[in-house]
Amino acid sequence: MARLDDIPEPTRTTVANLPCPTFETTPFVSGPKLSERRVAIVSSAALIRRGDAPFAVGSGEYRAVPASWNSADILMSHVSINFDRAGFQRDINVVLPVDRLRELVAEGRIGSVAATHFTVMGSTDPAAMAEAADGMAAAMRADNVNAVVLSPV
Amino acid sequence: MAHMLEERGLPTTVLALVQPHVETIRPPRAVMTPFMLGRPLGEPNDAAFQRRVLLQALRLLERSDGPVILEHFPDDNPSWFDRPGWTPSVALPPPGAYQGSAAWQKAFHTELEAVLPAWERFKARFGRTTVGLAGQPPQAWAAFATSFLDGALPSVPHLDTPALALRFLADDLKALYGEAVQADGGPPSARQIDGWFWRQTVAGQLLIALRALAMQSDNSALKTVGGRFFVPVPFVSG
Repeated sequence: MARLDDIPEPTRTTVANLPCPTFETTPFVSGPKLSERRVAIVSSAALIRRGDAPFAVGSGEYRAVPASWNSADILMSHVSINFDRAGFQRDINVVLPVDRLRELVAEGRIGSVAATHFTVMGSTDPAAMAEAADGMAAAMRADNVNAVVLSPV
Repeated sequence: MAHMLEERGLPTTVLALVQPHVETIRPPRAVMTPFMLGRPLGEPNDAAFQRRVLLQALRLLERSDGPVILEHFPDDNPSWFDRPGWTPSVALPPPGAYQGSAAWQKAFHTELEAVLPAWERFKARFGRTTVGLAGQPPQAWAAFATSFLDGALPSVPHLDTPALALRFLADDLKALYGEAVQADGGPPSARQIDGWFWRQTVAGQLLIALRALAMQSDNSALKTVGGRFFVPVPFVSG
């Protein structure tokens, strides 16, 4: 894991003590074999298109990241300064593996890539994210997505 | 979010960076990785490595032994470790001690001019830049940032407050330097980049000075932004 011991203080303590939600239900949705799945990514990196307004601190919004966007137009507006960005600087796939998904489609490993991926501000309290979950889920169902890769930073 | 999406009918799989969180939340499916925060797919510019990570997460979707399926990804990404013999792609003189905004502006402007060619090499090599939040070109940064040292509170049209203007200028500044220093050769570790930026550049020292100033400011937004969003705590003292 991102080894807690390797995370400098005070981030280490913050991360270790972060209140995490627990749930009474254990949903588990099955689907077709992987080669028939339509895959979307949900990134917590508060990604925006160049020129768009950045995410606000504490924002519970979600935004679309169309698969058609040029990777050169995608910026990260996450508020935290306590995670590495050098990997994202070199290669968007470290955070949003769009090229990897396209390759997997070409190889027949997955069925297709969703028309739209999604992004949120990962530092927002999960309790404030239900509406975003509703919106993203509706959009993904409309796009026949049946596999979601969550890629948190 | 995985739980919420799964409840809404969408099969999910998580690239999980923090094991204690996964063990508490217990999402439907997760691959627990050893990568540092900010790198869910582990290694930049290593398609084979990223593919292994991604496929392991995707394959969890084919398992039927839920409702909670957790696996470990076994390998560190190569640039988790410091790169032996790494040198920055831009050679800079060590920062000095500066008194007053004019001295800071001159020093930062001079340094930035020296960094820009490496940044151009980075952009040509990797085809993109993550600079662009501030809405100001790099040539404007020195005057804008150092004006805060005189007590000014300048703003930019597309950002609501001077605090946000300076916060996103800081983000862009860190991104530009981070990209420039990686322009050549293989990837250094994040530690190597951070150590170089915060201890060996005028830009890093300027952000540390701006943080100190912001935390004394009567402008509450600037105080909050400066205290939390300029300088990681390990580098606050320079």
